[in-house]
Amino acid sequence: MKRTASGDAALWACAGAAATCLVAIVALLVWLGAAGLSALWPAPIVEIGFADGHAVLGEMAERRGDTLVIRGSERERAGGSYVRVDAHAIVSRSEPRDAFAITLHDGRRLFGRGDVAAAAALLRSIPNAEPAGVAEWPNAHGFFHRTAMFLRDAGRFLAGSTMAPSLTGGAFPALVGTVTLVFLMSLIVMPFGIATAVYLHERRGFAAGLVRSAIANLAGVPSIVYGVLGLGLFVHGIGADVDRWFFADRLPVPTFGSGGLLWAALTLALLTLPVVVVSVEEGLGRIPPGLLAGSLALGATRGETMWRLLLPAARPALLTGLILAIARAAGAVAPLMLVGVVRLAPALPVDGAFPFLHPSRQFMHLGFSVYDAALASPDALRGIPRAYACALLLVIVVVALNLAAIVLRNRLRERYRVLEG
Amino acid sequence: MPGNPVTYTPLLTGVRNASVVERRRRERVGNALVLAGAAVVLLALLVIPLFLGASILAWLPLPDGAWSRLGILFAGSAKAAVCALVLAVPLGLAAAIFSAQFATPGFRSAFKPVLEILEAIPTVVLGLVAFATLAPWLKANVVTLLALIVAIPALLLAGALAFGGAFRRQAGWLPLWLAPVVFAIVVAVVAGLGPHQTDAIVPPTPWNAVLVGLALGLAAIPMIFSVAEDALMQMPSTHVQAALALGATRWQAIHSIVLPAARPGLIAAFALGASRCLGETMIVLMASGNTPVGDPNPLAGLRSISAELALGLPEAAPPGGAYRMLMLAALVLFVLTFVLNLLAERARAHLRRAQATPVIA
Amino acid sequence: MATTMTAPDNVPGTTAVTVELPAGVEIALELRALSLWYGARQALDAVGFGVPARKITALIGPSASGKSSLLRCLNRLNDELPECRVEGEVLLGGTSIYAKDAIVHEVRRRIGMVFQKPNPFPLSVYENVAYGPRLLGVKGRRELDASVEGALKAVRLWDEVSARLDDSALALSLGQQQRLVIARALAVGPEILLMDEPASALDPAATLRFEELLHELAQRYTVLLVTHNMQQAARVSDYVAFLHQGRLVEFGDTDALLTNPRERLTEDYITGRYA
Repeated sequence: MKRTASGDAALWACAGAAATCLVAIVALLVWLGAAGLSALWPAPIVEIGFADGHAVLGEMAERRGDTLVIRGSERERAGGSYVRVDAHAIVSRSEPRDAFAITLHDGRRLFGRGDVAAAAALLRSIPNAEPAGVAEWPNAHGFFHRTAMFLRDAGRFLAGSTMAPSLTGGAFPALVGTVTLVFLMSLIVMPFGIATAVYLHERRGFAAGLVRSAIANLAGVPSIVYGVLGLGLFVHGIGADVDRWFFADRLPVPTFGSGGLLWAALTLALLTLPVVVVSVEEGLGRIPPGLLAGSLALGATRGETMWRLLLPAARPALLTGLILAIARAAGAVAPLMLVGVVRLAPALPVDGAFPFLHPSRQFMHLGFSVYDAALASPDALRGIPRAYACALLLVIVVVALNLAAIVLRNRLRERYRVLEG
Repeated sequence: MPGNPVTYTPLLTGVRNASVVERRRRERVGNALVLAGAAVVLLALLVIPLFLGASILAWLPLPDGAWSRLGILFAGSAKAAVCALVLAVPLGLAAAIFSAQFATPGFRSAFKPVLEILEAIPTVVLGLVAFATLAPWLKANVVTLLALIVAIPALLLAGALAFGGAFRRQAGWLPLWLAPVVFAIVVAVVAGLGPHQTDAIVPPTPWNAVLVGLALGLAAIPMIFSVAEDALMQMPSTHVQAALALGATRWQAIHSIVLPAARPGLIAAFALGASRCLGETMIVLMASGNTPVGDPNPLAGLRSISAELALGLPEAAPPGGAYRMLMLAALVLFVLTFVLNLLAERARAHLRRAQATPVIA
Repeated sequence: MATTMTAPDNVPGTTAVTVELPAGVEIALELRALSLWYGARQALDAVGFGVPARKITALIGPSASGKSSLLRCLNRLNDELPECRVEGEVLLGGTSIYAKDAIVHEVRRRIGMVFQKPNPFPLSVYENVAYGPRLLGVKGRRELDASVEGALKAVRLWDEVSARLDDSALALSLGQQQRLVIARALAVGPEILLMDEPASALDPAATLRFEELLHELAQRYTVLLVTHNMQQAARVSDYVAFLHQGRLVEFGDTDALLTNPRERLTEDYITGRYA
């Protein structure tokens, strides 16, 4: 009895550990989804009445336990009109249907009650107030209208530019920066990764073993150390030299001597190189050796066989490696903090001006936006929801990429099972 | 065809034999490119420590207090790693044992991608959740957390003793049954204890090592799990079968035969998990408070080497003393993680070799 | 009339092998004292015979007698194995294929190989056959089409696949795949075809069709065929070489050798005294 009892206990302990992991992961994803979406969901405008008769009109910014925080009309500056309310002191609470909200260009929000004329009057009463859209009456509409507003705000979040620390300031520049960075990184990492994988596939011997252990060790280096290398060697080292030789007329303003897209792409290429090499080598290794023999027997050289037959046959593995590299790059924030990412870039790294891609420019990055919005935002009650919205977008992208890689990997396994007959 | 007097009709028409020289040249270029690529990779690994070492300019004196600061940073990194491993190692190892030894292949292939998704989530996102949501909660709920840590295993144990027999046959998918139970326990404890918290344990700061441990531990689980599971799956099932035939229970077979045999792999899992925790930046940056206090109290803050690098390097200018000190810190971090990784690789190779040799029956 | 071929004097341990050939037979491929080592293990010992042109020669012998290794020496596929050492000579039309300045991929083009298990590339039927010509620099669409059609017709596969040239080659039946692989080899214009138990993966019906194809191919190409099936050797081949533990024991006309072998070893093998 004691034996089976301890056996059962051990089984339940191990299963419980797996269950706890499951619960934690699911809870994390659900929480991310909820927090991210609720950041964009239009909040109702409430009017709180107190015992002494005065009332506060505004939107609910935070609710924690017994304390509510209401964002009132920001007449002077953004984040300057939060009211902390103790739940016990509330006498009345309502969501008046005639309450409206106006968003200004710099992100400030104004609230009032009344109709269009009242909104216009409120607008006029504030100096330098430029509306970013029309006044809205969120309480007056039902669920479907709110959903439409949500979709519209989500669209603005995805496609708009961050001009101000507003609640729904767009993530578009961060998206562009991330995509451009990842694109440039792929251009660098794929050729080197494929070349190294081919080398490891073809050769045995001491040098190949050295390269293989180099890859394994590179994979374990912390990402921040890559950032240090990027900063020291690329930015301060090579970048400073490039500035002296080619851009001396612009000094002391650095061109390549400071962080930028090129150095970041190079750093991330180094970081993701092991991922690509491992994936491509695994793909090449799965190809049945009969194919190589068949090609050689036809009079092809090893190089021709690799280029015309084996690499195309391993295409799913190449794609998997690329996808995993991109996913890693989208999530690596620490090294970028040292080599060129900024909170607010003056310009996008791609634009219409020749040479269209500007590798010396600083750029924005979605992952960094999460960090920056959470920790460095002057208005924490706006920053945190914005951070969650960026985080949700980032996680969606990264998880989608990883799922695509998993599907590809399974398809690869099927394909080679057919090949082996 | 030279030398063959037989009239031979080639099947091809219009054959233009690509000049043999041309094909040879292309072959040589291709080989050179491949060699160049591999050489760059080898160079890259060498460059990192060499560059860091060179940047220290060791013949110049470091600023005063550099070494004591480094000591505090190292202690901070260690504290964060220890707190994280306390969570990650038991969960990761136990889950790996379940997946490798108890689970059905169906469960295994469904569970793996779930953990792969966790691994894919950028650590900055985990840092955000820790910073924005967990920290305020933890500040007021340390007792609840402790209660959870005690309650979950205790109730699971009770459940095992009470219902163990009934579930023995469905052991393969047990976690799926237990997940809602665990969730219910969490909800019950949090809802029950939350509002009635005594101020028995109040952390000096909401951003402390326990918070880092929770987030970083979660982040490290997938790596520990996959390395440990890989090692356990390499164990031949014949050993377990033999033990069962002798009358042992499954768990007895596992813990007396499989686990000792897989020990190098489990050590590798631990080492790689530790390496990951030491090198992690974003979670620590966001959840540790970045205060270089050197206080062993897990409820106090810390400052890790990686956070120091992320915060200090943008300001420091080469070749100043501060810059060089940071380079030294980076080198220390590199060496630490490199040694741990090397250890893990040797352990795994040892395991592979041990599995390859046939057991003398 | 017997032709004796002796190994050159500087090769140690050679024995002269007497080869019987009818008068006036032309030799496509000549092996002279061919020896092969895999590391320390010797796989072939001074094998010497001539493969008659445009005839089918069968290579028979018990397992591990070196038949497949011999085949791989003839198109220098053994070069890919790191520990292989070859001594002796193989002459194609009078030129040694192991000469210092021999171009390996040209040798392999002229001496084609078909493997035991069909190994079509994971490409379309068309692309499989066009693979060789593309290597040789044929680019024009019409030329490629002509090559592909000619090769597929030569293996009697054209009618079956002309409508699905763009389908994956892996979708064909095993018998079709084996013929496709031969077509692929033919498309580069070889003189000699080496076949390593090519019908062993096929069912009896496909094997029969395959043997008919062999007779047709022999009108234009020299075929050297490894088989463990004595009946197949009797049906298909004109000449037979019997290999035993890396040595050539006997070579001769199929009918003569199989009904009236000269050597005791040969007789034992043919009558089934050992597998």
